[in-house]
Amino acid sequence: MINRVKNFGIGAWSLIKGLAVTLKYCFKPAVTLQYPTQKLPMTERFRGLVGLRPEKCIMCYQCVKICPTGCLAITHKQEDKKKTLETFKYNMELCCFCGLCAQVCPTSAIIMTDIYEITVYDRKKLAINLLDPKKYDEWTGATIK
Amino acid sequence: MMLSILDIIVLLLIGLAVVGFIAASAMFLIWWERKVSAHIQSRLGPMRVGWHGVLQSIADAVKLLLKENIIPAGADKLVWWLAPFFAVVPSVMVFVAIPFGKNLIVKDLNVGILYIMAVSSVCVLGIFMAGWGSNNKYSLLGGMRSAAQIISYELPLILSMIIVAMHAGSLSMQKIVAAQSGYWYILHPTMTLAFVVYMIAATAEVNRVPFDIPEAESELVAGFHTEYSGMKFAMFFVGEYTNVFLISAIATTLFLGGWHGPILPPALWFLIKTYGIVTVLMWVRWTFPRVRVDQLMGFAWKVLTPVSFLNLAVTGWLLLK
Repeated sequence: MINRVKNFGIGAWSLIKGLAVTLKYCFKPAVTLQYPTQKLPMTERFRGLVGLRPEKCIMCYQCVKICPTGCLAITHKQEDKKKTLETFKYNMELCCFCGLCAQVCPTSAIIMTDIYEITVYDRKKLAINLLDPKKYDEWTGATIK
Repeated sequence: MMLSILDIIVLLLIGLAVVGFIAASAMFLIWWERKVSAHIQSRLGPMRVGWHGVLQSIADAVKLLLKENIIPAGADKLVWWLAPFFAVVPSVMVFVAIPFGKNLIVKDLNVGILYIMAVSSVCVLGIFMAGWGSNNKYSLLGGMRSAAQIISYELPLILSMIIVAMHAGSLSMQKIVAAQSGYWYILHPTMTLAFVVYMIAATAEVNRVPFDIPEAESELVAGFHTEYSGMKFAMFFVGEYTNVFLISAIATTLFLGGWHGPILPPALWFLIKTYGIVTVLMWVRWTFPRVRVDQLMGFAWKVLTPVSFLNLAVTGWLLLK
């Protein structure tokens, strides 16, 4: 009998403690964001869409070789010893955002941007010309580090 | 008694005012519950429709109005169709005897408490009809559980209300409020116990967490209203929140001095106290887990009912002494 009363007391006290915990959380600020209007800043090493700094590219083709899905394609022309980039195509549809191209690039010409809202209404828009400076205007918050 | 046209118009206006208040109150409570639950879980809740999402319930109501009314193939059509009305109409009828202010009461019945208990008991019929009529095993189980639970908890509920009636010497709600003009009944030791018993039993009566086994999502989908959609579902929902308001309003009237209070107008005091209790109920809902069926019934019959009987005996002895 004494044990039952004691258990009842412990139970009742635990209920009050539980209420205190929820009350405390009730007045803490919310941890969620109002997504389309407020956005979480992406971390430094976040792997979003692939970006390119064309002036740094030395046309070594290492990114094309290492890409596991083969989503990068480069063409260049050579006059004497000077190479110039002609095209740098990035097929986003195939990209698996592994970041190997950025890792292997000797001059850090290829970088991973923080763009993660990558949906489009037209499938053709998934094939991106990385030499086009306006290539990521489609997706909001486009910043190339 | 012959009713003149004027009387009928006055009656209609009173009815409209009551139904309007119920609808507005239910919508506010739904929004408020979503906000309270969100903040307890470190979220924000509805934020888009109106200031901090205040118009969210209206948007939801419009959505429910436009939804298709689907009747299950094997349903008992008449019972299925009538059930939401049986769930809502008793809660609307209880409003007749709720005193919002000194003269702000539809009709001060001299059997107020008895009337409230008698009419609100009909709610269980609506829930059971919904469970039966849906021809769905989950609904039927929900309805049966609800019937068992509500009938079990009615006993401690009524016994704790009788204590108030014994102190006030009347069943009329206005007279009970008038008897509390000096001090609130909750300050009386036996009444404090009665208040605690009342709140626990009332939470079980309106099927709220931790006593929400009739609509336990993890076991019974949505319980008795699994098969309802559109406006019929909305009626169950409004009925549920109206019942929450009602048990809080009755608690305010019986234990917290009703509309008595300094400075502010009586009706405002009444609403502040009532919504305060509703907020506490929401706080409880978002804190505790659900109890098991056997625990629930055991608690009603082995703890609450004996405690209420003991409390009743002690109160009687104190009053006669």
